[in-house]
Amino acid sequence: MDVRIQKIDETNTEYVEIGCYKTDSRVQDIVRFVKAREGSIEAVLEEKHYQLPITDIYYIEAVDDKTFIYMKKDCYEARKRLYEFESILSEREFARISKSVVVNLMKVSSIKPALNGRFMCMLANGEKVIISRKYVPDVKKKLKGEAE
Amino acid sequence: MKERVVDAFRNFFIIVTHINVAMFVLGGVLKPDQKFGYEAFAYPLIYGAITSIPGLCMRTTKEMSIAQTIIREVIQLLLIVVALLVIMFGGRPLTVDMAFQAASVAVSVIIVFILVNLIRWILDRKTAEKMTADLEAFQRRN
Repeated sequence: MDVRIQKIDETNTEYVEIGCYKTDSRVQDIVRFVKAREGSIEAVLEEKHYQLPITDIYYIEAVDDKTFIYMKKDCYEARKRLYEFESILSEREFARISKSVVVNLMKVSSIKPALNGRFMCMLANGEKVIISRKYVPDVKKKLKGEAE
Repeated sequence: MKERVVDAFRNFFIIVTHINVAMFVLGGVLKPDQKFGYEAFAYPLIYGAITSIPGLCMRTTKEMSIAQTIIREVIQLLLIVVALLVIMFGGRPLTVDMAFQAASVAVSVIIVFILVNLIRWILDRKTAEKMTADLEAFQRRN
């Protein structure tokens, strides 16, 4: 397999492109490695431990005393509390949108009005999560790049 | 807190505007020859303040589901209707004419309530469109 590195202008987003005949396990390993370099979070599903690439997370939700990480299809349980995730991911493309949810803004396809001054994030996998009134100003700032 | 006050004021002025329209329409239908003094200008403000009270009292920091929000809005509407009917007609003997007026007021309140929520929704939709545009720019930047 040839490896080509192309320098791009700093105004562009960095990317890795793989040219392959089919997406077999070898290609998936490379994808996993690249995503892991972007950071990962440990989580549990059916008593098995996984390292979830941060960029693949859709949203993180706190329910009672537990924290769940939602990926495209599966839901994993995490050991960390929501406020810890909020702190860890505050520099990334994540935003706290309610008392119980931190969402990956890169996975939001659009925002719609909900009742009572709240808004609904329509996610790329078809799920919907609510932005509560209290967090709307912070989300607006984050989207404009004004967040602290 | 600031957000709560801004929201309360926004609702108050939307309500006052609609009450003006409702009084114009109801007055024209029920008592077209009625004459008023300058105090008539204060009525929409007073009614606006009264109808804002249930909304302020029923505020909660708890995050509600869509169904809970709808139930809360219906309860709030009923409280507003009861509050206005008690203030406008309370303590007077019930007559057929008064019952008709009370029913008209109740229907007007419901219409105003629906219009207020519709306008809030339209304003929120504009905000949502702006947020979606900012989101797309954010995603391009990252």
